[in-house]
Amino acid sequence: MPVAASAIYFLNLRGDVLINRLYRDDVGGNMVDAFRMHIMQTKELGTCPVRQIGGCSFFYMRISNVYIVIVVSSNANVACAFKFVVEAVALFKSYFGGAFDEDAIRNNFVLIYELLDEIMDFGYPQNLSPEILKLYITQEGVRSPFSSKPSDRPVPNATLQVTGAVGWRREGLVYKKNEVFLDIVESVNLLMSSKGSVLRCDVTGKILMKCFLSGMPDLKLGLNDKIGLEKESQLKSRPTKSGKTIELDDVTFHQCVNLTRFNSEKTVSFVPPDGEFELMKYRITEGVNLPFRVLPTIKELGRTRMEVNVKVKSVFGAKMFALGVVIKIPVPKQTAKTSFQVTSGRAKYNAAIDCLVWKIRKFPGQTEPTLSAEVELISTMAEKKSWTRPPIQMEFQVPMFTASGLRVRFLKVWEKSGYNTVEWVRYITKAGSYEIRC
Amino acid sequence: MAPPAQSQRSPSPSQPSGKSEVSDLKLQLRQLAGSRAPGVDDSKRELFKKVISYMTVGIDVSSLFGEMVMCSATSDIVLKKMCYLYVGNYAKVNPDLALLTINFLQRDCNDEDPMIRGLALRSLCSLRVANFVEYLVGPLGSGLKDSNSYVRMVAVIGVLKLYHISASTCVDADFPSILKHLMLNDSDTQVVANCLSALQEIWSAEASTSEEASREREALISKPVIYYLLNRIREFSEWAQCLVLELVTKYVPSDSSEIFDIMNLLEDRLQHANGAVVLATIKVFLHLTLSMTDVHQQVYERIKAPLLTLVSSGSPEQSYAVLSHLHLLVMRAPYIFSSDYKHFYCQYNEPSYVKRLKLEMLTAVANESNTYEIVTELCEYAANVDIPIARESIRAVGKIALQQYDVNAIVDRLLQFLEMEKDYVTAEALVLVKDLLRKYPQWSHDCIAVVGNISSKNVQEPKAKAALIWMLGEYSQDMQDAPYILESLVENWDEEHSAEVRLHLLTAVMKCFFKRPPETQNALGTALAAGIADFHQDVHDRALFYYRILQYNVSVAERVVNPPKQAVSVFADTQSSEIKDRIFDEFNSLSVVYQKPSYMFTDKEHRGPFEFSDELGNLSIGGEAADNVVSAQRVEENDKDLLLTTSEKEETRGSSNNGSAYTAPYDGSSTSVFALQTHIESAISNPTAADHSPQASLAIDDLLGLGLPAAPAPPSPQLKLNTTAALDPSTFQHKWRQLPVALSQEYSVSPQGVAALTAPQALLRHMQSHSIHCIASGGQSPNFKFFFFAQKAEEASNYLVECIISTSSAKAQIKIKADDQSTSQAFSTLFQSALSKFGIP
Repeated sequence: MPVAASAIYFLNLRGDVLINRLYRDDVGGNMVDAFRMHIMQTKELGTCPVRQIGGCSFFYMRISNVYIVIVVSSNANVACAFKFVVEAVALFKSYFGGAFDEDAIRNNFVLIYELLDEIMDFGYPQNLSPEILKLYITQEGVRSPFSSKPSDRPVPNATLQVTGAVGWRREGLVYKKNEVFLDIVESVNLLMSSKGSVLRCDVTGKILMKCFLSGMPDLKLGLNDKIGLEKESQLKSRPTKSGKTIELDDVTFHQCVNLTRFNSEKTVSFVPPDGEFELMKYRITEGVNLPFRVLPTIKELGRTRMEVNVKVKSVFGAKMFALGVVIKIPVPKQTAKTSFQVTSGRAKYNAAIDCLVWKIRKFPGQTEPTLSAEVELISTMAEKKSWTRPPIQMEFQVPMFTASGLRVRFLKVWEKSGYNTVEWVRYITKAGSYEIRC
Repeated sequence: MAPPAQSQRSPSPSQPSGKSEVSDLKLQLRQLAGSRAPGVDDSKRELFKKVISYMTVGIDVSSLFGEMVMCSATSDIVLKKMCYLYVGNYAKVNPDLALLTINFLQRDCNDEDPMIRGLALRSLCSLRVANFVEYLVGPLGSGLKDSNSYVRMVAVIGVLKLYHISASTCVDADFPSILKHLMLNDSDTQVVANCLSALQEIWSAEASTSEEASREREALISKPVIYYLLNRIREFSEWAQCLVLELVTKYVPSDSSEIFDIMNLLEDRLQHANGAVVLATIKVFLHLTLSMTDVHQQVYERIKAPLLTLVSSGSPEQSYAVLSHLHLLVMRAPYIFSSDYKHFYCQYNEPSYVKRLKLEMLTAVANESNTYEIVTELCEYAANVDIPIARESIRAVGKIALQQYDVNAIVDRLLQFLEMEKDYVTAEALVLVKDLLRKYPQWSHDCIAVVGNISSKNVQEPKAKAALIWMLGEYSQDMQDAPYILESLVENWDEEHSAEVRLHLLTAVMKCFFKRPPETQNALGTALAAGIADFHQDVHDRALFYYRILQYNVSVAERVVNPPKQAVSVFADTQSSEIKDRIFDEFNSLSVVYQKPSYMFTDKEHRGPFEFSDELGNLSIGGEAADNVVSAQRVEENDKDLLLTTSEKEETRGSSNNGSAYTAPYDGSSTSVFALQTHIESAISNPTAADHSPQASLAIDDLLGLGLPAAPAPPSPQLKLNTTAALDPSTFQHKWRQLPVALSQEYSVSPQGVAALTAPQALLRHMQSHSIHCIASGGQSPNFKFFFFAQKAEEASNYLVECIISTSSAKAQIKIKADDQSTSQAFSTLFQSALSKFGIP
């Protein structure tokens, strides 16, 4: 049963084709018209990312101002198709250096054609690893690494790497200074009821690494997670040190991590790719430290007046502080006038999103600033429906804080040449979807 | 370089011709073609870019073909790639010109640089021109033996491309067996993976004609091949792993230790960052353990965490794909996920397609311990800004109420909804309260008190209004005002646009009349008069029927219209378990997202007659209007398809209720909650009635005849059929073989008929009311086949009919055989008129 993609389209928001690639003949050439007519120009847009039109299925995704559409004619693997798009976009981004949008596509269309040819053949995904592709497709289009002419930089054993087994790292890398940067980035998702009880709360975290290491180093990462620690104490037959241990609900790793070893020894060991990559992702639902508590009281005083009081408590260490704190407090559509008092930061009324937006640039720990606002409403005769209160939403970043309590215990680097490395570790917690009903 | 902005900004199909630019380019290319000056490659590159950008935008640059080919003699790899791209795009339309390129592509296939060899080979195979296949075989053969894995990788897919252009050439060159050899021996895993995809496609296609190919296809899932691939699985790229894992699901291990070996080997795949790999692994686990109940349970427990992680990471689209699979599993085994209900809470900003799935899952996992939390959460959504989602959540509350034993708290919530004073909330809640009362009549007291307070003026939606009216009729003895509310509704008969509501009103007034005759008599008279004068056939018929039956005998009328009802114990499932299993078998594919098995959306006959074809695709700007029409039609077709499936579900649901729950089949009002159309129809022509009182059914027939002024061609008067005809199958078979075909005709079926023909049973009942009985039926939408028979009323002369109805073409093919050939024409007319009335209410 073929699961191959028949075509891929890149469209702008108006539906003009920026680039397309037809991999197979089993779909007509007017697929894009069908997409425009039945999805883009209808209310259907955005209601479901998978749609069937005629005999074909369309998977589409919007990334900045571009729609990427994959067309298949058979019963394809959906997860695979979306993952492919995401990976392809990541690949393009790594080539353009950051942005992926309509202009980037227009400016690099030859390059994208080249890449589309390599990453998929006759609808089957091939090699999407930027590490390898950059060996033979470069932005400037320098000559092939296989060229018989003496090339200016040595690319030993490139053939193996083009398709080979150690897909993520090439040999012979040399850095003057060997450095590793490790970031633990967590996002906290919270749903709190109006009565202040936590309905749902979890943390999705990822460990991002940036490696500038020579040769073929072997890295080993130790975290204060429960399973890893238990295993370690078992092996060393030494009681676990006191201190917080974290229970990870689930972990996924970059392909470079030796999963067999993880399963037997519970250690994360790997040969890292060069440069930036995401080492692992995890999810935690138990024992989450919420960095902020929000205590709202919203009173509707008659038909034309509302009183809003919001207190935000920071519950992390007093020496730490949060950055870029934004609290969005919803108000009704017919808001006419607002007046505020805040004990910290700045607030204003944003009519476009029907919210009071309260911004605090630097928010120290163990403090509790408040906002009190009076909102005047236009009285409308027809307004008999009561206002449905959307939740208060919050954005923030807390450096050096992890909501899960996860810490790096050690990061060891071995390389046969035995050089010294400098390791940098950072922690940051961001708001995922942090919602408080009021 | 700056792409030509102005031309790109204009809508793409209707480009300005760009003629002058193209001829300009032509000139410049020609100048550069022969030049060997330094820096010529750079200017060529600029020109090529321009050509490609025109091509992308949709300007026809095929006239440059010759010049492009001339310029392609270069060592610059980017130039070559652009040239290959150009050639690949236009070769199909210009096969003659494409011939020019064969030469240089073949030369490049022997280049010393493997990169160029690979690229050239890929382009050569992508020309897709049937005349060129002879040129492909040589380069492909040497490509497969190339020392460089990149070239081999390209060559393998090249073989597949060749197969699609000319299957016989590919098979004759013995490429499949070379691929098989490569698959089992190549050192490069991408080559192996490509071989696997190619072989799967080739052998699946060949299997229908060649026994050897089907044997080879089987061999792919044999133990040695599977083990060989599994042992190397970590070397494969993530995409290739998906491929291998999909293959493994088809493998049948010999014993349980083998199953455990495979699962142990693959367990770490559940930690892979690629969601597709995780899903593929889950599929393997689920399918391997299908026969081992306890292990299967453990698998569910094991895969829960990775699935929940995947749902909460990645883009909404990705998590939707995973969520659809989680949804499937939750529906299969809700109790396993009942403690994870908090994961299915909706976030405020989530897209509605995600919310909808989550609501369904919340409904499914509700049990004694978590119902309170779930219902509380669902009530939050009822105030959601997104109205469709708010409606769904109210419905979800109702569904939970219907599946729980302890509904005390939920009833309160529902009643609170009624007091929220939002039109859509009230509307949904009314429908729910009605369903609830049908299952738990004991709650009527509490509910009726609240329902009685709702002003019917605030209820506008037909479904809700119908529900309210049903309750007014059903519980008129408990509601003080019921007759007067009904009366005021009857007075506004002309303003009521929905036939469904008017039908319910008729029945409700009738019921109310039996309970409180003096107060309702007036209203009933008005309602019946208005109903008989109604232009809607159903309403008219029902009113007339009520009128006649009241005339005949009031107590009979009460027995028919308002019989004592039993509570509905189980509302029938909407999807058959067979279909659910089919979807489960196709885990990790589109079937799960669409929630229907793949044959429903990939088989040609299920898609309806309209197809995108290449011709349509090639229609130019002028043809766009036509294109519009065609696609619009297809959408309609699709919609109809959808309609069919839902009403099919309703049909089965309805009939199961009829059979089990209700003692008397004529209570149209309560059944019409389900499938109004089909049920009114079955109420009119119900076979049960015919069974116990043939007179009555005849009377109804007559009455219908009178009441159907619009019905075409009244049955021919000379030929009367026996209403209680009997014929046993063997006699039928015998006669069918013996008798010659007297008549063979093709009728067209009315659209209503097509719409009503969702299952063979619908037609059977209808035909039986016309004294044409069915002896055998079968088929599935869109093709149904029936064998009918009928007997003359006065003598034992039989008519046998074979009837094939295709709903996609709306045609019925009829073959009639008769004992008495002379009357077969008359019978045919009768049959046709009966058939033509099918579905017309």
